[in-house]
Amino acid sequence: MFEDHEIISTIEMVKNEHLDVRAVTLGVNLFDCISHDLGTFRHNIRKKILTHAASLKSVCDEVGDKYGIQVVNKRISISPIALVGAAFSSDQMVEIAHELNDIAKTVDIDFIGGFSALVEKGMATGDLALIAALPRALAQTERVCASVNVATTKAGINMDAVLQMSRAIKQAAALTSDADGLACAKLCVFANIPEDMPFMAGAYLGVGVADAVINVGVSGPGVVKRAIERHLENGPMTLGNIAEVIKRTACKVTRVGELIGREVAKNLDVRFGVVDLSLAPTPTVGDSIGEIFQALGLSHIGVPGSTAALAMLNDAVKKGGAFASSHVGGLSGAFIPVSEDLNIAHAAHQGYLSLEKLEALTSVCSVGLDMVPVPGDITEETLAGIIADEMAIGMINAKTTACRIIPVPGKKAGESVYFGGLLGEAKIMAVPHMMETNAFMRYGGRIPAPIHSLKN
Amino acid sequence: MNKLIITVLAKDRPGIIAHVTQVLFALECNLENVNQMILQDQFAGFFLVESPLSLDKDSLQATLDDQTKDTGLVIHVNDLDENNGSAMDGKGDIFLITTIGPDQKGLVARFSAIIARHHGNIINLKAVFKGGPDPRNNVMSYQVWVTPDLDSATMFADLRTKATELGLDIRIQHKNIFDAINKI
Repeated sequence: MFEDHEIISTIEMVKNEHLDVRAVTLGVNLFDCISHDLGTFRHNIRKKILTHAASLKSVCDEVGDKYGIQVVNKRISISPIALVGAAFSSDQMVEIAHELNDIAKTVDIDFIGGFSALVEKGMATGDLALIAALPRALAQTERVCASVNVATTKAGINMDAVLQMSRAIKQAAALTSDADGLACAKLCVFANIPEDMPFMAGAYLGVGVADAVINVGVSGPGVVKRAIERHLENGPMTLGNIAEVIKRTACKVTRVGELIGREVAKNLDVRFGVVDLSLAPTPTVGDSIGEIFQALGLSHIGVPGSTAALAMLNDAVKKGGAFASSHVGGLSGAFIPVSEDLNIAHAAHQGYLSLEKLEALTSVCSVGLDMVPVPGDITEETLAGIIADEMAIGMINAKTTACRIIPVPGKKAGESVYFGGLLGEAKIMAVPHMMETNAFMRYGGRIPAPIHSLKN
Repeated sequence: MNKLIITVLAKDRPGIIAHVTQVLFALECNLENVNQMILQDQFAGFFLVESPLSLDKDSLQATLDDQTKDTGLVIHVNDLDENNGSAMDGKGDIFLITTIGPDQKGLVARFSAIIARHHGNIINLKAVFKGGPDPRNNVMSYQVWVTPDLDSATMFADLRTKATELGLDIRIQHKNIFDAINKI
């Protein structure tokens, strides 16, 4: 038996506040597909993925229809290709990317993630081949997502890998210059990458995870924003009370994700992994993280007070998620992607949000510099420096940080860039001092792990 | 012991439940289950009781009528047949079918006819039509027991078609989503 307000509020969350399941991601372990023969390897991974994922889309649609909650994206994450394909050259890695792209089309999913390497402490043969293949693999495919973890709190920062990734990002942008460097939107550089994240472009299946697993990414910035607004309409509140509202709302949203995820996993006969409650925006008005800042009383994201507001938001989201489910994982916090959030993109364009402030914000939220378009002539060293700074925040704070930066070929700060769909659009952000020599980035080697990593 | 179901209707006011249950207590009836609701200013109550073997439904009806005369209560006593079981026994799921939009004559009749034609069982219905822009004031919500042998896809499609014809927003959702969001 439900009260009228329970029925109406549930429907409002779905209908007007954009509550949805942003991603159901099927993780598939590919270690049993390993072969030295490329043809055999391609055959094995196709067979393994299709075995588990053939009905992924239809099952997600059925479950979404049953509960009246749309599963927006159906995706697949796989074991890191740099590990399971370690025997192959970079040219062969590109062929593997084509195979993965074709598999994604066959099962009708939008992205497959796991064209990845874990190189925080050094690069092995497979890692080098994969990184060398990244620009072509991403430029020649549409649905393959890549990630490279270059730092952890336990290992430090692999600065050789940072510079190589800067080079790979520039090359990937150049190869897709006709699409504003779109290939870079499918490539994340990470510190402390989670092995169970359902969100792209960073999703991959960790080596310690089950053979097949369903991880669910729920969103809901619109729901959080409306909850804050509704309570403030009833009178003044303290920040403690507002944090409580966010926490309770996050709890409800997480429960929705777990309900859907568990049913999808049951119907696919695979294990349920985690629910990742991340406030992931879309370019739709009313589905924005930036609008939450305005609901909290800040004129725009980026003005003084923004870091404190984001810290409160991120923490309340995590607490709500932890209360709702024993299996919360992935990133579970707030995303602040520039081009994917119309409000954030506007704040950046209007000068309220600079690259430096964005970096400061990432020290208290769950991701990093995400979907940030920068001038195409940024130097390798400067881009590597931005990545290294972001990795340092993750390493020192024992949290995930990531860089998904797009150096837009042929375009300058302030010019428009359009990626389309969920990737959105934005003005290119200015990068101060980007043409200056930066010898620091050329030293190479590894920045040692911080003292607080010595816990054994 | 006899199992009896007593329904009580009246214009709502303080003391209705007290009055009825005092009579039942005096007759050594054991209350097993009670439910009541207020619809605008009208009270409706349901009392499921175990009565002594010496007290059949006619005797209880007569006593209740006598003890509540001039109170405006309309009381009806019936035997409860426990052997037939509940319509919700066995496998099935509860779906909430909610329409939002302004009142029109025959709304409940039209939607419930579709549900009945497909053998869906309405186990709870709430309808509020007060006008104005607030969706809370213009909502119908059916909780429907759907068994596996029922063609739920066709029933839901028919309901959606009817809602479109009538210009109503309709949502059909499994009960568990409401539990997940509201029953924490």
